[in-house]
Amino acid sequence: MTAIDDTPESNDPVPAPDAAPDVDSREAAAAGRKAARHETLRLLMKRPAFIGGVLIVMIWVVCALFTNLIAPYNPLDYRTGLNMSPSWSHPFGTDKGGRDVLSRVIAGARDVLKIAPIAAMLGVLGGVILGLLMGYLRGAFDTVASRVVEAFLSLPVVLLALLAITTLGNSNWVVIGVVATLFTPVVARTVRSAVLAERELDYVTSARLRGESSLFVMYREILPNISGPIIVELTVRIGYAVFTVATLSFLGAGPPPPSPDWGAQVSDNYNSIVAGYWWSTFFPAAAIASLVIAVNLIADSIERVVKS
Amino acid sequence: MVITLWMLATIVFLLVNVLPGDVGRKVLGPTARAEDVARLNETLGTDRPLLQQYFTSIKNLVTLNFGDSYQSGTPVSDLVFPALGRSAKLALLAFVITIPISIAAGIFAARREGKVSDRVVVNAGLASSSIPEFVTASVLLAVFAVQLGWGKVYANVPDGTSFFGQLDYLLLPALAMVFSYFGYIARMSRSGVIASLQSDYARTATMKGLTSGQVMRRHVLRNAMAPTITVISVQVGYLFGGIIGVEKVFNYAGLGSTMLNAVGKKDIPVLQTSVLIVGVIYMVSTLLADLLIALLNPRIRLDAD
Repeated sequence: MTAIDDTPESNDPVPAPDAAPDVDSREAAAAGRKAARHETLRLLMKRPAFIGGVLIVMIWVVCALFTNLIAPYNPLDYRTGLNMSPSWSHPFGTDKGGRDVLSRVIAGARDVLKIAPIAAMLGVLGGVILGLLMGYLRGAFDTVASRVVEAFLSLPVVLLALLAITTLGNSNWVVIGVVATLFTPVVARTVRSAVLAERELDYVTSARLRGESSLFVMYREILPNISGPIIVELTVRIGYAVFTVATLSFLGAGPPPPSPDWGAQVSDNYNSIVAGYWWSTFFPAAAIASLVIAVNLIADSIERVVKS
Repeated sequence: MVITLWMLATIVFLLVNVLPGDVGRKVLGPTARAEDVARLNETLGTDRPLLQQYFTSIKNLVTLNFGDSYQSGTPVSDLVFPALGRSAKLALLAFVITIPISIAAGIFAARREGKVSDRVVVNAGLASSSIPEFVTASVLLAVFAVQLGWGKVYANVPDGTSFFGQLDYLLLPALAMVFSYFGYIARMSRSGVIASLQSDYARTATMKGLTSGQVMRRHVLRNAMAPTITVISVQVGYLFGGIIGVEKVFNYAGLGSTMLNAVGKKDIPVLQTSVLIVGVIYMVSTLLADLLIALLNPRIRLDAD
């Protein structure tokens, strides 16, 4: 949804439709957008859910960046005792390979924090390009592309990704590429409907009458005006990407071993829950839960602020 | 729908065949002799050109001939349909629990919009739907099945178990799914009810003296349920993304486990059939949702005429 609303309180100001396309008005529009970003940030900082989410994500980012400083042991080191319950020397216990679970949980933040945001950004980029083309060009291209998008949407992303990654082999870049490709149709659908609402407006007509190329109209006129829904889509996609990457790595199609990825840790250890060794599964599982919830709290806050 | 199905079949075919992985080698393992591998590829038809394989697979699909499993040689339908039945049983239990609870929670929150209890429902819903199913499943397994001794660690139901005996096996994995689907459905029914409560017809109904229960039942719910039904139908289709993880945690021999095994062994006929079944389920459930919405709301029926 893009509210077309050029009152001063609007978070998503649209250059007045009758503005002449001279440099001054464009600079004014840019300044307006900057002020709006400032306002959005101010509204976000008033939301406890947003601040909580950002704090949790920051903790994991610090863990990912400074693993070697924070982790008490080497996350890949096999030498300690097997399946030791949590104690002072191993606060989260050790896993079935005798590795320190706390150190592995800290190191496990690395891959997912690299893969998920990159995959989401590439997916949104692809979706924006495809959605702009579909919504702006319409016609046969839109019809065919819509059919393909529909076919993609009728299968769960996890399932398609699982198929693709098993054929392509798992490496971080394959996971990124596959998740990004599968996010593209979803984003394209959202962007397309936003473009459809915009393309009938006067500012688009006037740009076309001025003789601007389709490319210019799509990227310089329409794109800035649908930036609200795109930013919402990006944050929502990052949440889904964390979810998808964790699930894929639990199913054996995530970052390749010996990565201490959280999903892979759950997959390695869930069979020993039955023997009473719950900690080697529980702590990585809790880490996944905390990260996805945090990202979703951020996404939800941004969505509410942008749409209000 | 036929076109979408054909595209789906093509996407799946492309996905499993992009890289010319040697099927015969994968099935027989790395120690098999080269001539055995070649012979197997010839019998399976996997040495033929890709385009020819594609047409064969589409032809087989149209004639509902799903072929034989590369791995065990048994007909795919004998493998896939019983597994689908087991997954459906699990999924049905999950939905029978989820739908009433989450719609009730949505209505409860909508009537207390902005209060603490509303925010609790909204945020609990957001949190529960954002956690992957396998995470919930493994935590439930650790806490209930192992620590407290409730429910079963392995969800496979022995033959001949009574109805309530089966619940003992299936309840925990179903609860893991309930947890994931609760959030979406509760949030959607909440916002539907809020929008509907603010409408003119709800106000008219209140003003003509109906009790709030009557307004809710006769006027609000009918209109508010359309987006909720749509979300439920999408969940039915997407369920198979999450059920793979749940089935793996509880070692349940459903369609998810079948797909996961087939993926590892490059058992293409089993994979293709399973994935297409998932696509068909999604399409049928969205179609049913559209029909149900039209049934609830006469205005939509009139529009279509």
